[in-house]
Amino acid sequence: MKQMHRAIVGAVLAGAMTVATAQVGTTPADAEHMKAGEEKAVNLCSTCHGPRGISTSPEFPILAAQRRGYLESQLEAFRAKTREEKVAHDFMWGIAYNLDDHMIDSIARYYAAQPPAPGRAGDPALITKGKELFDKGVPGRGIPSCTTCHGADAEGVADFPRLAGQHAKYVVKQIEYIQGLVRKAPVMHGIVKDLTPEEMQALAVYVQSK
Amino acid sequence: MAENKAVQVVRAGAIVALLLLGGVNDALAVPSFARQTGQECIACHVSFPELTPYGRYFKLTGYTIGKTFVSSTGFNYAPVAVMAQASVTNTRNNNTTDPDTGDTVSVNQRNNSFVFSGGSLFLATKVNDYVGGFIQWTYDNLATTADGTLGGHSGVDNVDLRAAGKYSGAGAAEPDLIYGLTLNNNPTVQDVWNSTPAFGFPYTSSPLASTPGAATQIDGGLGQQVAGMGGYAFWRKTLYGELSFYRTADGAFSVLRAGQDTHTDGGVAAVQRWNNPYWRFALNHEWGANSVMIGTYGMIVNRYPSNLDTSTPTDRYRDVAVDAQYQYITDPHTFTTQATYINERQSYNASYPAMQETGAGIGAGPTPDNATDTLKTFKLKGTYYYERKYGGTLAYFSTTGSADAGLYGEDAAGNARNPNSNGYVVELDYLPIQYVRLMLQYTAYNKFNGAKTNYDGNGRNAGDNNTLFFNVWVAY
Repeated sequence: MKQMHRAIVGAVLAGAMTVATAQVGTTPADAEHMKAGEEKAVNLCSTCHGPRGISTSPEFPILAAQRRGYLESQLEAFRAKTREEKVAHDFMWGIAYNLDDHMIDSIARYYAAQPPAPGRAGDPALITKGKELFDKGVPGRGIPSCTTCHGADAEGVADFPRLAGQHAKYVVKQIEYIQGLVRKAPVMHGIVKDLTPEEMQALAVYVQSK
Repeated sequence: MAENKAVQVVRAGAIVALLLLGGVNDALAVPSFARQTGQECIACHVSFPELTPYGRYFKLTGYTIGKTFVSSTGFNYAPVAVMAQASVTNTRNNNTTDPDTGDTVSVNQRNNSFVFSGGSLFLATKVNDYVGGFIQWTYDNLATTADGTLGGHSGVDNVDLRAAGKYSGAGAAEPDLIYGLTLNNNPTVQDVWNSTPAFGFPYTSSPLASTPGAATQIDGGLGQQVAGMGGYAFWRKTLYGELSFYRTADGAFSVLRAGQDTHTDGGVAAVQRWNNPYWRFALNHEWGANSVMIGTYGMIVNRYPSNLDTSTPTDRYRDVAVDAQYQYITDPHTFTTQATYINERQSYNASYPAMQETGAGIGAGPTPDNATDTLKTFKLKGTYYYERKYGGTLAYFSTTGSADAGLYGEDAAGNARNPNSNGYVVELDYLPIQYVRLMLQYTAYNKFNGAKTNYDGNGRNAGDNNTLFFNVWVAY
């Protein structure tokens, strides 16, 4: 029942976001604003993140259908150099340095509006284990369900990121960064700090399959 | 003498140390394209100069990603970069016989010594959203002077200036077409795959070691001596095509060969004006962490036998090459491989008739004995890097060609020699920081200038030229 409640809240939030997104772009100025982000995404971001944000290299995250607020906050973090893992430092600091607030907003809207990447099959045993962890957490070890923030289908809720369809390798890396405090996410650190490598892999393969 | 050597070592060490310290202390202090984009070297390079897919995109779009060095907000970065190398070369058998005097002389004048090899200054930057490029000026500290000793010499090195644009159809998810123009001074320097000669392996090698004498025109035979202009297009990251035309870099283009010896016969190449077409076609595919390319490139060179006399007919060199590249780039494992095969047909339409008619060729020579010759080069290498920090490369190279006494001399039995050489290279690399590469490279020859043994008629064997090369390479 509690899960259903969370799912409803998530759906309402996501719906509100979608409506808000849809309402932008109704004036010429908004259309111009959206166009700028699209051009940047097509001509620059797509080089690593793939057409419409669906990258094929697991080194670069899939951005298609990612939560708009999350995309904004991450681009801002790259620009402010507060997201500091090596790949962020080597690739994204320079890119984000050249983005102003309007462009960040526009790029985030573009990727949030793209169709999501389809899930990819993986080891069924890992997927089963990952689903169990994702849906229920490990109450005995104080690890809560991932659905609370990331949605029942890992689609993301409000500013909490979409994980569905993401490259498993990328997801594992991020959990490791957060676990090692390389990537600063205090709430997530508390949740993932005791995950084993096997559990991370299971979770990652599961969300990749969604 | 010993003191001088010590001073040289200290001086070279100090230069390297200064550069190292500069690099360590300033996280933003990276070569100028990195300053321009704000990204680290590994975004564009597997390991410099080998390009990643993103690096290829950066080059094809005219080096225009990022900021101009000056903008309305002021000065953004210095559009210059420096590069320096210092090395030790060990030649397996450093004694050889001077063919003229019969004296025993050194092959490598600084054998086993730590020497400052030279350095480059780059002007490299985005000019505006459509134009960018780089100009490299190099100081060679170990250039061979007129009297055969080593000395300093500087001149222009590689140049690639571009104007580029992109086209995306309505609703496109990535550029449909990247197109542009290039002005450069070394055929293949403009290419974005590292299977072509200008930026092919080995990326650096000993400046002191003996190396095989024969190479095709497109494989360095025209570098920093010609000017080329052409257009290219890359369709949906799949099909690439380029057509350029070259000429002698004289007149208005003479800056592109600045530092070359243009006054000595044989000092520099002279080719017909714009009548030296260069082509390049490639099929590219990227998926996952993989990218693969198969392609062809080539050039027809109409070259005057003497650079001091362009009233004569020209010899014709037709270079046709195929090449391929595969890259697997992940964190932490990276594997890349490149291969190329160049087939050069040499038609001595000027030199050969002159020899037949007058008994002498045109210019300084050497003058061929045959009306036509062939020269074929094959290169293959594979590289593995761990964390883009620890690398190893294994390479094979081979050159074969027609026997021609005019070009390559005769053996003791009076038979024309051929240019055949082959061998392998093993290289280990360590990049403690992204601006520094420590290299240990071993080159072994199975054949050298036509033979495995006694290739020079004075008892020198191919293996005597085997070279161990330790190099410190700094780019800042």
